[in-house]
Amino acid sequence: MTRTVLDAPPNMAALFAKAALTARGRGGDLPDTHLARTGVTVDPANLAEYARVCRFPLADAVPATYPHMLTFPLQMALMSDRAFPLALPGLVHVRNRIDVVRPVAASETLDLEVWAERFAAHPSGATVDLCASVRAGGDEVWRGRSTYLARGAKAPDGAPESDVTVSVGDLERSVATWRIPDDAGRRYAAVSGDVNPIHLSGLTAKAFGFKRAIAHGMWVKARVLAALANRLPDAFTVDVGFRKPLFLPSTVTLATAQAEGGWDVAVRNQKSGTEHLVGTIRPLS
Amino acid sequence: MASNSKPATRKAAIVGGNRIPFARSNSTYAQASNQDMLTATIDGLVARFGLQGKQVGEVVAGAVLKHARDFNLTRESVLGSKLDPATPAYDVQQACGTGLEAAILVANKIALGQIESGIAGGVDTTSDAPLAVGDDLRRILISLNSAKTLQDRLKAIAKIRPGMIAPEIPRNAEPRTGLAMGEHAQLTAHEWEIGREEQDELTVRSHQFMAAAYDQGFFDDLVTPFLGLTRDQNLRPDSSAEKLAKLKPVFGRALPEGAEATMTAGNSTPLTDGASAVLLASDEWAEEQGLPVLAHLVDAQTAAVDYVHGGEGLLMAPVYAVPKMLARNGLTLQDFDFYEIHEAFASTVLATMKAWEDPAYCKEKLGLDAPLGSIDRSKLNVHGSSLAAGHPFAATGGRIVASLAKTLHAAGPGKRGLISICAAGGQGVVAILES
Repeated sequence: MTRTVLDAPPNMAALFAKAALTARGRGGDLPDTHLARTGVTVDPANLAEYARVCRFPLADAVPATYPHMLTFPLQMALMSDRAFPLALPGLVHVRNRIDVVRPVAASETLDLEVWAERFAAHPSGATVDLCASVRAGGDEVWRGRSTYLARGAKAPDGAPESDVTVSVGDLERSVATWRIPDDAGRRYAAVSGDVNPIHLSGLTAKAFGFKRAIAHGMWVKARVLAALANRLPDAFTVDVGFRKPLFLPSTVTLATAQAEGGWDVAVRNQKSGTEHLVGTIRPLS
Repeated sequence: MASNSKPATRKAAIVGGNRIPFARSNSTYAQASNQDMLTATIDGLVARFGLQGKQVGEVVAGAVLKHARDFNLTRESVLGSKLDPATPAYDVQQACGTGLEAAILVANKIALGQIESGIAGGVDTTSDAPLAVGDDLRRILISLNSAKTLQDRLKAIAKIRPGMIAPEIPRNAEPRTGLAMGEHAQLTAHEWEIGREEQDELTVRSHQFMAAAYDQGFFDDLVTPFLGLTRDQNLRPDSSAEKLAKLKPVFGRALPEGAEATMTAGNSTPLTDGASAVLLASDEWAEEQGLPVLAHLVDAQTAAVDYVHGGEGLLMAPVYAVPKMLARNGLTLQDFDFYEIHEAFASTVLATMKAWEDPAYCKEKLGLDAPLGSIDRSKLNVHGSSLAAGHPFAATGGRIVASLAKTLHAAGPGKRGLISICAAGGQGVVAILES
């Protein structure tokens, strides 16, 4: 395993460009590389902007999804590197799991580490997990696992089967209706740095085969957690599957139900009932 | 038959309080909304008294500067807090009296047996302040919204003039006089001959007392850090009369020719952001929950003065409220162990005390046979007040109630404290606490 410590967060727009230019001719197994940053502090202005865009209250503890803001650029650096076997354009975020080991205060100094694992076979291609660990004072306080699907890609021989299914119970009761405006992708891109063109405009999304711009999955997940912010235990796991793309603009509903000391959740299109996100939130034991 | 005796009620207990440190305007809390601050403050109170998932009878709070979207500010904050979501809430607003009025409302329902417990609070931000469009533009936009045809819409749009686009920024000024509150206070200071030195002295005292209280840990169970702030940002432990003497007066444009302006940015409270909350309960509820009773809210009174045409000072209403409350309780002004007179301006505190000492004023204006007399200055604002802490309008009442209740409790049973808070619109809210 090689571990590289970066001094500063990588430039995301440059990484997208690099990944697009070097998309062809990729293959092989996952690189055994860990990317890390140490002594990372939270920028209060970015945190406030993130909270506003995702509808979290501004508080001393960062939202459960916020450490992903810090680790995502490292994921991008890992995936855009030529040694990464899958082409970044066209990768679809299909599942995301976050473990909040304990609330993370905005004032804490954090150490981040990111790596890739579980190159797995999927009926329509291959999946890979981008994992992240966040430590404070030496203790792991937060874990993230983002599963990406590469359609048409082939996992190495002997690879395990992908596990992208998140199962929830009956979720018949919608508790909230959200009108998602057509600039939702641009607003989240501005605060997160995730400037993937599929989120920015209809035109740039079409270039990648989507009929309209689509919302960031992590933004939808963040909004779900914001809606439940005060109803969650201090330590929990939130595991969501991103189903059909949420096209912008849309009107969607949030359904919630208490389950096993936590919650089952779903975000669906208000008219068609198309599922965009289903997820479980459980206390972390 | 008319009677002075009050109906059989019980006295509401003050269990404790919580606030976030107060921040100077456009500083640490610049990105925080009223709802963010009130929610954090309620959650701090919840954590302190083990109220997670529990219901209290009612949560009552308010803000003076409020966005139109915050019509249900307190209920929304409750829904975002760790309290049981089935906890009812409502908003109140009585300018700078909001926080104390909220506590009185909660205490009265407890006194009548309508609720067993409640939270009173207040929050204000001058950083995340509501901006409104001018009234002309607002009317055009309303007609645009209701226009049915394209022609009507174009007609409405054509009425918009560039000069209408500038937003209206809320001002700390009286709508009927056009004068800032500080200008009004400077007029009163002049009328009562309140000198610059005594104002600066009171200011230094406030800073020093509050700094000492922080150092002694007095605020450890009254304040929860927020967004990196652990103490009130306005607090200057090294404040001195010499430093304050160097400041230039900032009010006085309404003073008569030749009169000395005495009020500075030092001896006036700055614009501040913050929130506070107080937990009140019946004695029985507090006991069931295993919670302490610091003090009881014994009585309260409001008053208002005609500061527009009546020749009275804008912030003099508490001077009228206190004697009414004293008479009802058979007390004199000297029957108190602690006094909390809100320091909107140093001159306001001094004018209030001077008025109570003035035989002619007490007879003519307050209708009293004898003046209320002096108060022992060593019992006044003993842990500092708004000049040091700052004054996020609606949050000040909760700050004072919790601090005074703790002070009385520490002094032992049977101690009595007086709270006096002046408010915009020529109003005053006063109350008696007793341990």
